[in-house]
Amino acid sequence: MRYSGLKVITQGLFGNKGWGPVWRDPAPKGEYDAIIIGGGGHGLSTAYYLAKNHGLTNIAVLEKGYIGSGNVGRNTTIVRANYFLPGNSEFYSHSLKLWEGLEAELNYNVMHSQRGLINLFHSDGQRDAFVRRGNAMINQGDDAILLDREGVRQHLPYLDFEQTRFPIYGGLLHPRGGTARHDAVAWGYARGADQRGVDLIQNCEVTGIDIEGGRVVGVQTTRGSIRARKVGMVVAGRSGQVAAMAGMRLPIESHVLQAFVTEGLKPCIDHVVSFGMGHFYISQSDKGGLVFGGDIDFYASYASRGNLPMVEHVMEAGMTLMPMIGRAKVLRSWGGIMDMTPDGSPIIDKTPVDGLFIDAGWNYGGFKAVPASGWCMAHLMATGESHAVARRFRLDRFKTGHLLDEEGTGSQHNLH
Amino acid sequence: MVNLIAKSPLWGQAPLVSAGVTLAEVDLGQVTSIAPFDMAVPGFPAPNTVVADGAARLVWTGRGQAFLIGGPVGDWAEVAAVTDQSDGWAGLSLLGAGAVDVLARLVPVDLRRLAVGDCARTQLGHMAVIVIAVAGGFELLVFRSMAQTAWHELATVIKMRGARLAC
Amino acid sequence: MRITCPLCGPRDRREFYYYGSEDYLTQPALGDFDAIDAHLHLRDNLAGEVRDLWYHEMGCAAWLLVTRNTVTHKISDVVQVAGGGVGILAKMKPEEGAL
Repeated sequence: MRYSGLKVITQGLFGNKGWGPVWRDPAPKGEYDAIIIGGGGHGLSTAYYLAKNHGLTNIAVLEKGYIGSGNVGRNTTIVRANYFLPGNSEFYSHSLKLWEGLEAELNYNVMHSQRGLINLFHSDGQRDAFVRRGNAMINQGDDAILLDREGVRQHLPYLDFEQTRFPIYGGLLHPRGGTARHDAVAWGYARGADQRGVDLIQNCEVTGIDIEGGRVVGVQTTRGSIRARKVGMVVAGRSGQVAAMAGMRLPIESHVLQAFVTEGLKPCIDHVVSFGMGHFYISQSDKGGLVFGGDIDFYASYASRGNLPMVEHVMEAGMTLMPMIGRAKVLRSWGGIMDMTPDGSPIIDKTPVDGLFIDAGWNYGGFKAVPASGWCMAHLMATGESHAVARRFRLDRFKTGHLLDEEGTGSQHNLH
Repeated sequence: MVNLIAKSPLWGQAPLVSAGVTLAEVDLGQVTSIAPFDMAVPGFPAPNTVVADGAARLVWTGRGQAFLIGGPVGDWAEVAAVTDQSDGWAGLSLLGAGAVDVLARLVPVDLRRLAVGDCARTQLGHMAVIVIAVAGGFELLVFRSMAQTAWHELATVIKMRGARLAC
Repeated sequence: MRITCPLCGPRDRREFYYYGSEDYLTQPALGDFDAIDAHLHLRDNLAGEVRDLWYHEMGCAAWLLVTRNTVTHKISDVVQVAGGGVGILAKMKPEEGAL
């Protein structure tokens, strides 16, 4: 079914009884040309682009739970392309361009809203760093505008500009940055992949990876064994466990990142605001809730929930930056499991096992990468070659020293 | 040499009295860090405790470290690394029945469990603190550079508690 | 989450700094790049019981080896790294709800 405005109106007139399931619920076949482990944003977009760009349609996406039940359904929805290092810049730039055409591409409203992202700075040194970053973004073909203090005030008059610890010197505005509806991205890609013949198999946990003579031949699942000559592991958060089935240890430690949503409020924050020095960022959802978060809890965890000291830290930072949110009531908080790598950048690469590919290590920035990650992973799985914008996301870069340490914080998983 | 006038870390701050709690600056006198070469040395305090030695006190301040407060170093130099910390730390006293309630808002340790002669190295808000249980309340040691901040934090909490009690 | 420090007793998580896996305790041989790579970067990353290095940063400044379940956050043992590690459970009854 193709969605359109007319369709919405006619369905509305007749009680919305004509909507059917958006994707099939097929039983797994015994063999596919390729299998994607993980039915989150990245896995679904990989399947979609395998089908669309490379004509590979005899493929399955295996999901342990239901489509979009992992991090793609539990993040703070920020979409941006404001990276500095070659390797990251071109990748996220490519991703943002895909985002800008995504709704037309998928015929699905992902509510992509380019409301502008402002990164605040609080010292001369930090301003210089942001000038460099802004220039790097412009060189890449993306947009960046340096705002002085008064410039920031015009956009964000409600900030506490006079705070003593981090007085606001200015900000770097990235007008094309913004947010999108997280679930809709998963649903849109799922629908698109399904329409192209991809089998989306839910409630199907992979329990083993079959390897013969150094080459992958299939997987074992809770719904039987499935053969395939190409398998992609796209299981952010659980990458370590799935890779262990293939006898691999990854440069990844899983950490918990908390986020918070308040009750719905009238529109008051019409940008994405990032307060890096306080580890705090915030935006307002279309429902009106303030969506905000901070840094990871800092210890390895699969618990999907964090601890109170980080809650307090985030609230303190929020109150430091914008005291006006003090009366807003927090409705809920949650924790997502983050694949943290030693340099803070992801991995899209082959593995030592022939036919086994990995897309992992998205740290806490995987949402904005969903389109390009799938695009590049599909390219890698179909052609055996890294895509031009993802060629630095190598699995062995930690050993060879070709790190992509955007923040320059050093080789420790939780520091990024 | 010119005789310089020493200033206390809080520059002679007057005590704050509110709702049965008194916050005041304390002159610590000489403070010396004692780090024994062998941790089993006699006279060294057990973790979280204070050993009184006449007017002086030896306060456990961490693994293999104690602060000798208000007394001369004596023989410690022979068995431990000693470092003069005088003027590096600020002393505060928080006395009165409500002292434990005030600190409960800032210190993540259950201070009701501390008896006189106990101490704890922990945090006051975000800053490092040594808490010593004394008769009628607590003595707090913070870095001298943090003295004003510590006072501000404590004074704010004392005020808030007073307002809550007055409701 | 509360961690029972062998020296200080039960303390809030905020007093501790998390360093990482106990892998950091094993020094790889100089020149063995595979071992250095594994030491610095590669992790078992288990969902279950792990042993990690924590530092009692705001307390007694002891380095601790904490046995903790990464799924439940339950802490089952804490030992000091120095002095061969004297287990806390042998010396102290864990506080009610001290996880």
